[in-house]
Amino acid sequence: MRVISATRAIFLKELRIEFRNKQMINSMLILSLMILASFRFIFEFIDFSETELASPILWITFFFSGMFALAPIYQREVEQGTKEGLMLAPISASSIYFGKFLATFIIILGLNLFSTMIFFAFFAQPMPDMGMLLGIIVLGTIGFTALGNLISAISANLSQSQVMLPVLLIPILLFTVIMTSVEATFQIFDGAVLADLSNGIKLILAFDIIFVASGYLMIDYIIEE
Amino acid sequence: MADGILKAKGIRRSFGKKNVLNGLDLELHKGDVYVLFGSNGVGKTTLVKILATLIHSDKGEISHFGMSAEDDLKDIRRKIGFMSHEPYLYRDLTAHENLDFFADLYSIPNKEKRIEEMLKMVELYHRSFDKVGSFSRGMKQRLALARTLLHSPELVFLDEPYSGLDLNAQAMLNKVIEKMNQEGVTFFMITHDLEKGMEIATRRGILSKGKIIDDDNAETGEFLSKYKEILGGEGH
Repeated sequence: MRVISATRAIFLKELRIEFRNKQMINSMLILSLMILASFRFIFEFIDFSETELASPILWITFFFSGMFALAPIYQREVEQGTKEGLMLAPISASSIYFGKFLATFIIILGLNLFSTMIFFAFFAQPMPDMGMLLGIIVLGTIGFTALGNLISAISANLSQSQVMLPVLLIPILLFTVIMTSVEATFQIFDGAVLADLSNGIKLILAFDIIFVASGYLMIDYIIEE
Repeated sequence: MADGILKAKGIRRSFGKKNVLNGLDLELHKGDVYVLFGSNGVGKTTLVKILATLIHSDKGEISHFGMSAEDDLKDIRRKIGFMSHEPYLYRDLTAHENLDFFADLYSIPNKEKRIEEMLKMVELYHRSFDKVGSFSRGMKQRLALARTLLHSPELVFLDEPYSGLDLNAQAMLNKVIEKMNQEGVTFFMITHDLEKGMEIATRRGILSKGKIIDDDNAETGEFLSKYKEILGGEGH
């Protein structure tokens, strides 16, 4: 019970701070719009199949804008000197991890859905199965946020943490959750049915479980010095 | 013989080649107000962070309330409070929201009543719903004191608590320490403010060359001469 109430307290604190200073939300919104507008601009001059490129465009937007959301999660605690205050509390480090993970997940997912709407406004696409697309975005965002939180906690303790976060995060995420999500999203835009996606969904789910479990198991060692 | 609240034996800690703590021993008893003096950079903050379970020592043994941090970390942390140079407060949250958050982390019963009590104690009740980012350094320190004492700790560590406080707030801090000490709370304070520290101390010591020189029995004048002598030896 104590774990749940501590997780809830951290979750609510994170959301309250974020909706008050909008540090993550503003960076993500602006970057998403810039990336999508840049692609729209490029496609005015180059003749590519927008349907084939829809999936990578969406996930590149999620990936780079999401990175901006991940940086302050733990860095903010270090900069404001509040990390030690959290450490002193009689709670397990996993409460800190899960509280922050859930809050970041909600913010990133909300902004990814917003980016998806902007994407459909910018690019005239035949509408894919929105239920399946939403499902893949949710699953991909879970893995992205779970690993992102862990790497954000590691990099917050390092010098040049702003550089270290993408250096540590990009190689792992790109070849796991992002690649699999791009492929599954491509199939959805190509008119696939749920049965065609089952392997992709299982793979993304497996990455989600591995990343959440890694966060749970490692966060104690990362936070305690 | 009073109860052993904290026992530290042979504490060593170094940063690179610099030995900061060099086999330090310390014992605190219930009801002590132990004030440790020392010049800048002698390792006072390192020591208090080790004792407050925030960082590890390289060697040595520490027990809090007869428990070891390796086995009973959460139980120890529930019983201790730590007020540092950093207030450990969120500037985007109000004073009330900050205390409410920490009250949830410590599972404090009747938290609203307790938060109100603490805000009144540090004379910030009228600013309960103002963001901490708009507070002065002194107000943040007072709120940090409220955060430190919110969960009624039995052992409180204070790291340079007078810095940033005006004279009234310093007097208020000493009054709070005296009141809580009468209720049985043990304090361990590090400071270089001799006058304020001596005023409140029931035990005192000097940290020099990585060890504590205990001078419980010395007269005030004798203690001060010794402190000045040590400071001189350290090049101050």
